[in-house]
Amino acid sequence: MTPLQLFLQQLANGLTLGAIYALIALGYTMVYGVVQLINFAHGEIFMVGAYAALTVALAITGAPWWAVLAVCALGAMALCGALGWATERVAYRPIRSAPRLNALITAIGMSFVLQNLVMRIYGATDRRFPELWPAVRWQWGGVTVTLTQVVVWGTAALLMVGLQWLVMRTRLGVAMRATSQDVAACALLGIPVNRIIAVTFALGSALAAVGGMLFGGYYGTINFHDGYLTGLKAFTAAVLGGIGNIPGAMVGGVVLGLLEGLGAGYLSSQWKNVFAFVILVCLLLFKPTGLLGERVADRA
Amino acid sequence: MAVGHRARLLRLKSVRHFSKRGKCLTLFLLLAGLGGCGGPREPVVKIGFVAPLTGDQAPHGQDMLQGARLAVAHALTEGPVIPGHSLALAPLDDQRNPTQAVAAAKKLVADPDVMAVVGHLNSSCTMPASAIYHQARMLHITPISSNPQISRQGFDTFYRTCVTDDLQGPAAALFAVRELGASRIFILDDMTTYGRGLANEFEKKLKALGAAVLGHEGITQGDKDFTPILTKIKALNPDLLYFAGMFPEGALLIKQKADVGLAARFMGGDGQFDPVLIDLATPQAAEGIYLTTIGSDIHQTPTARAFVAEYEEQFGPIGAYSAYAYEATSIAIWAIRQAGVKDRRAVLATMKTLKDYPGLFGPQNFDEKGDSLIRDVGIFTVKDGRFQFVKTAAWE
Repeated sequence: MTPLQLFLQQLANGLTLGAIYALIALGYTMVYGVVQLINFAHGEIFMVGAYAALTVALAITGAPWWAVLAVCALGAMALCGALGWATERVAYRPIRSAPRLNALITAIGMSFVLQNLVMRIYGATDRRFPELWPAVRWQWGGVTVTLTQVVVWGTAALLMVGLQWLVMRTRLGVAMRATSQDVAACALLGIPVNRIIAVTFALGSALAAVGGMLFGGYYGTINFHDGYLTGLKAFTAAVLGGIGNIPGAMVGGVVLGLLEGLGAGYLSSQWKNVFAFVILVCLLLFKPTGLLGERVADRA
Repeated sequence: MAVGHRARLLRLKSVRHFSKRGKCLTLFLLLAGLGGCGGPREPVVKIGFVAPLTGDQAPHGQDMLQGARLAVAHALTEGPVIPGHSLALAPLDDQRNPTQAVAAAKKLVADPDVMAVVGHLNSSCTMPASAIYHQARMLHITPISSNPQISRQGFDTFYRTCVTDDLQGPAAALFAVRELGASRIFILDDMTTYGRGLANEFEKKLKALGAAVLGHEGITQGDKDFTPILTKIKALNPDLLYFAGMFPEGALLIKQKADVGLAARFMGGDGQFDPVLIDLATPQAAEGIYLTTIGSDIHQTPTARAFVAEYEEQFGPIGAYSAYAYEATSIAIWAIRQAGVKDRRAVLATMKTLKDYPGLFGPQNFDEKGDSLIRDVGIFTVKDGRFQFVKTAAWE
């Protein structure tokens, strides 16, 4: 392998991880945008999404792989969307006007509840994730790209474009952006603020569910505590991109994935996590709002 | 349990309209009722057992727990261990986490009924816990923590029934170089007491044998994505990748090694010897890997035949560490029975007199550090999606 081939290969590795981070980061950033809550249970919703996809995939047999993939994605999105909506309704809405710390601690509690619930249902050990797509690989000038990677990139890109369209071009999107600017004023103008916030939770959770499915399919094993570290990384990605900013979360996820991939590949794999967080700290020192995050500044 | 809880809540709700005094009384009666369920306690001797019973390494821990349970069941058929006392296993979960391991050790030490501890799977857990048992003069037998440093601390309370990594590592190196013909080797470990220790022993022997070590790096336990490091290794073009660590990470390494197209052979240590490894890594990717194991093939050990048959009938296929947990628990029970009194110091003193204990692997003896003198290292490979015994390895 020439150095250039090696670099391109590492770029492909990092991009795959980054695409998954980006999908999860979107949920953190959307929720933060509308209610200024860091929803620490979001990583768990991602993990539930992986388990939901696993359950669906084991239930259907005999269909072509892309059909199974689509059904898995839709099933996981539906379940996690409902779960996101329900957590907002049950755990966060009643304390929305309370000090922000209460909501934060509720979110951490919610995360424990979901983790232990999944542990009860699926057991505490690693589960093998069924192969959702065939093991196809292409050689491209010495660089190997697998179908897995193409599926991850394609799905993530599709969903992000879809989300961007939804937020910028639809009435719902306008309402979401308005709510993120001023909840009270929106309510005065007749925007159903509660419903918009609930939809935001559901949307973010549905995206995380797809992230969970891709994560399971990519690595082949899942565990009930996978949501913790991956969720933390995705949260980091959201902060890196500028929390509250949707394109920021996408950019942050991809950048974090690339940093991790290149850091582990070129420096040292044992400092992989340290490397990513050091970059985050350095960036925040010089640009506290993150890469693209200017919108939140006016609220502070 | 949920129903009972709801009933209690309902009862509490119904006392709402009572006077304050009535409320207190009802609550008191409720609590007294809850507390008094046990009845008078009969004297008991307990054997503490600690291993990861939840979390990613729980399959290993459950294998061990089943082995320990079987040992207790066997002991009970031979009558009470100490006259007038029942025998119980006190299993605790350390989640492979040293902090939890220390907490569990303190809990066992504080229980006056616990006379011996069998435990901890991971060397990183056994190491700090061994100091606590030593302080409490508690007999402590680890079935399987193989880091040699643990017995070098000089604790006279410490025993172990398995071969140490300063023998397993060299055995792996000899096999890799002499039998597999490996000459360019990359080493990975999981940066734990066990993994790093084993990898260092492997590397030392490798260098003595004159093989080229292309690199030695760590990965983080619980991490999922190893493609960057594997891609880097691929560019160095080794003929063997060695990983010292446990099966959750081992399985991912094996799978992702195939994904990135790294053609080198894979070899690993005993922490990955579990059928779950093949399932998680997918049988295609796991085909042809080599693992060193603690002891040789348990299915071909004549002294263990009856145990294996009974275990597999009760619990299904025997795990890598089940027999060691059985052996350690049986020896602990032997020491208590021989001592004949419920006294930790007496149990410990009796343990020192052990000679040629008729164990699963033949006559069991321990050296002055507490390490077993049965020091076989086995080599297994994966063929047709199953582990297959290759040979008993030489380590010098």
